[in-house]
Amino acid sequence: MPLRLVAPEWSLLVPPLIVLGTIVLLLAIDAVSERTARRFALPLALAGQLLALGSLASIDWGQGATTFGVSYRADWFALVVSLIALVAGILSVLVSAGYTESGLEPGVGLAEYLALLLFSVLGTMVVGAAGDFLVLLLGLEMSAVAVYALTAFARRRLTSVEGALKYFLLGAFASAILIYGMAWIYGLTGSIKLSDIAYTLRTVVIPGQPVDPALLLALLLLAVGLGFKIAAVPFHMWTPDAYQGAPTPVSAYMSVVPKVAGFAAVARILVQGLQPLSDQWAGLLALLALVTMVYGNVVAIAQRDLKRMLGYSAIGHTGYMLAGLAAFTTGLAGDRSVGSVLFYLFAYTFMNIGAFGVIAWLQERGLGTTLDDVAGLAGRAPLAALTMAIFMLSLMGMPPLLGFYAKYYVILALIEAGQLWLAVAIVVMSAVSASFYLRVITQMYFQEPGGTWRPVRTPLLGLGLAVMAAATLALGLVSGPILELAQRWPAALT
Amino acid sequence: MEQFPILSVITYSPLVGAVVLFLWGNAPARAARWIALIASGVSFALSGAMLLAFDPNQASMQFTETFEWLPELGIAYRLGVDGISAPLVGLTTLLTLIAVIASWDPIRYRVREYYITLLLLATGMLGVFVSLDLFLFYIFWEIVLIPMALIIGIWGSANRVYAAVKFFLYTLAGSLLMLVGIVALYQEYFQQTGIRTLNVLELTQGNYSPTFQFWAFLAFFLAFAIKVPMWPFHTWLPDAHVEAPTAGSVILAGVLLKMGGYGFLRFNLPLFPEATQRWAPAIVVLSVIAILYGALMALVQQDFKKLVAYSSVSHMGFVTLGIFALNQQGLSGAMVVMLSHGFVTSALFLIVGVLYERAHTRELAAFGGLARNMPVFAAFFGFFALASLGLPGLSGFVGEFLALLGGFQSYRWAGVLGTTVVIFAAWYMLRVYQRVALVRAPGEPPDPDDPELRVSLAHEVPPVAGGGDVEHHTPDPRTFPDVTWREALTLTPLALLTLWVGVYPLPVLELIELSVRAILAAVTGENM
Repeated sequence: MPLRLVAPEWSLLVPPLIVLGTIVLLLAIDAVSERTARRFALPLALAGQLLALGSLASIDWGQGATTFGVSYRADWFALVVSLIALVAGILSVLVSAGYTESGLEPGVGLAEYLALLLFSVLGTMVVGAAGDFLVLLLGLEMSAVAVYALTAFARRRLTSVEGALKYFLLGAFASAILIYGMAWIYGLTGSIKLSDIAYTLRTVVIPGQPVDPALLLALLLLAVGLGFKIAAVPFHMWTPDAYQGAPTPVSAYMSVVPKVAGFAAVARILVQGLQPLSDQWAGLLALLALVTMVYGNVVAIAQRDLKRMLGYSAIGHTGYMLAGLAAFTTGLAGDRSVGSVLFYLFAYTFMNIGAFGVIAWLQERGLGTTLDDVAGLAGRAPLAALTMAIFMLSLMGMPPLLGFYAKYYVILALIEAGQLWLAVAIVVMSAVSASFYLRVITQMYFQEPGGTWRPVRTPLLGLGLAVMAAATLALGLVSGPILELAQRWPAALT
Repeated sequence: MEQFPILSVITYSPLVGAVVLFLWGNAPARAARWIALIASGVSFALSGAMLLAFDPNQASMQFTETFEWLPELGIAYRLGVDGISAPLVGLTTLLTLIAVIASWDPIRYRVREYYITLLLLATGMLGVFVSLDLFLFYIFWEIVLIPMALIIGIWGSANRVYAAVKFFLYTLAGSLLMLVGIVALYQEYFQQTGIRTLNVLELTQGNYSPTFQFWAFLAFFLAFAIKVPMWPFHTWLPDAHVEAPTAGSVILAGVLLKMGGYGFLRFNLPLFPEATQRWAPAIVVLSVIAILYGALMALVQQDFKKLVAYSSVSHMGFVTLGIFALNQQGLSGAMVVMLSHGFVTSALFLIVGVLYERAHTRELAAFGGLARNMPVFAAFFGFFALASLGLPGLSGFVGEFLALLGGFQSYRWAGVLGTTVVIFAAWYMLRVYQRVALVRAPGEPPDPDDPELRVSLAHEVPPVAGGGDVEHHTPDPRTFPDVTWREALTLTPLALLTLWVGVYPLPVLELIELSVRAILAAVTGENM
């Protein structure tokens, strides 16, 4: 029988291809003329991502079409992940606007910076659409490697290099463990395709019967590898250093998009591939969630550096999202777990990039990143203080801000799944987190300003902050359609 | 027929004012005050119209508005008022208006921001009282926290940041558990009926297991008990009150504490009737402790504002006692105490504010003999002091009498113990009145004709010019001018309402009666 090559369905690949095209264009322009690149790179990166965002509408995601065999899936889950990644990418470019004008070191191109950022977005989109282990790993690494480089972008600053090195070493280590776990699964099921793995496992795993220890080992290896990627405790060691060391716009980006990629990988691997093992991994995730949210929130209390505090708070939020996934119960009609996590990631994108964005905004004005630097901000720049207050309150989970809805949906998923104790843990940790988020507001509103203040104009950054603040304020009120979109994932996993 | 959405307009007209002020970036202080006055005035006028149009012969919710919001989760925008919430809406709009006027002169720092915050607070509080959807209720409930903490933290006195953070964290911790309670309730109702809803009225129809009720009751109870505040959850209150600016204290005492009492009546009782019966004795014990403790603490305070704050703890003890006596008199009494406390304690905080404006201290030792140079002030003060201690003919008496009567019927000892406190209330209120308005001012030479003083005169150090410790820091109380017309304007309506409810409480009792009965019927399971 002659070998027949099936042409891939290119139309499904339009959004990632647009992003790839933008990257190629960016690098090409940079190679030809660095001056042209400096002028046009930023608008180009924005336009490319906006175009990709628009092109998401061209695909009928409801069909759950696949291409390259089943290796690339264009289902609802892929749509939501692509949506979040692109929105986060656009916002990160806006947040980078000030940094790339004044903070870039000589000899380091703006185009490179943006190309790396877009590579990471592309990688995340690929993870979301992955139908087998290889594509998933490809996307995950594409997303991560670009961010390692971005972390070290302030290459003359020791903390930047240190953070990047820690991030890279631990990340590489985690990838190895992850791949090892995948190899075990491949060995046990004979496939790297997620749908095949689920199919095989369904015949092997019988509810109520003890599970093959080899499968459990594989599961554990996967969990450890993925735990590093999403910065769950005890695999979180790289986070605070990386967040603090990286240039602030990179921290903003890094706190969100690699996390999206990580959670997309967790959902694809565990919920889709290892669904028959859900009794085993749900318990594991619940435990990780509890440890992660407690550790992140408690340690964040002691931080005086805002970026470090947000780093620990990001760990806390990872815990909430893990709790959402732990609510997954096989066969529960209208399961909300993955939907609630996707919504959380969506909400988190705005409020966390926003919070880092305000810090970047302050740095443009000659201030540092500690709590003392935001003192009296309300008197100096009332709008910036208000914006920051909105992000802090939203991260805290105050209604009617977006973060409240995110937390609400996670709690709802948990209680519907009967995991009341995790829901209680979330609200208790929210109360704990209020103490350090509130401290930022207290500093901004109740203290007198200090430090030198250099007024500059940063229109693009300002625009980005305004968009994020408005989204954080208002999107919650119309969260129904977004949530509904995020809820459609089960249709994708057949 | 499309009805005029009066509750939405009442709730959001302060918000509109806040948005206007927010957008008008460089609004002068004068304009800010006027915009706040107009916004809160519209809200007040409409709530007056709403109260007039309210039909007391109807137990169901009135002026309802429903609008689908997140239908998949059973969340809708549902508003409505009954005999419990309608008077509280009126109280809120009145006190907001008074707070706007009372802040006219004292607030001179960041005036625009102040009024934005105050108006946001008003919208949050009104939303709490008119929401009939638990999700919506929770949103408004939490919204209230932020502006209140800001008002204490920015416009408060010396130790304001500590008080603001304490207030925020305390109340947040309480309400977060309520959130779990809300979602658990939603899930429980869904499992029973297959209907996803957060409609309070529908949820009260559910039949929940005793264990579930026990825990859910506790989750809601904590949130409300901290807000009331009940002993031993009260420790945030004295700090918050002492540090808050006058208008902040007025709102805090007048409205925020009522949110707790309202929460008990609207949620705890009808949603968890069996748990209510089970928990009631324990809560009555806490209430009696609060009544006693608040009064005894008030007795020893040297700070005028702290004294009023502790008296609030005592008065709110009557509210919870009345509520958890679980009978008609108790519940009605609790409602009247809430309203009366709203008038009287708010007025007392205004009175403290009047003194603070002149002396910049609240230490009782700094005052004396004010009845001489501030006769109008002394008259107002005396009136509200008497109302606070429960003089018959004024509103405090009606409520406390009913609440104690209810308490007595259900728990004889609670009624007896509670009644004795009235003596303490008279003691601390009259003592403070004497200290501030009657005795000689610090540094003032004693009256040689006073026979009692003649005895001790020989031993006393002769008053030096500029004498005592206090006088170094504070102006001589003998030079204080009497209340301004604006201050009188804030006190007069409260005095009239106190008198009206005290002399002729029937309209108020009629207003709340059917709703109280409906709640009682839900708790005891008897038909009306």
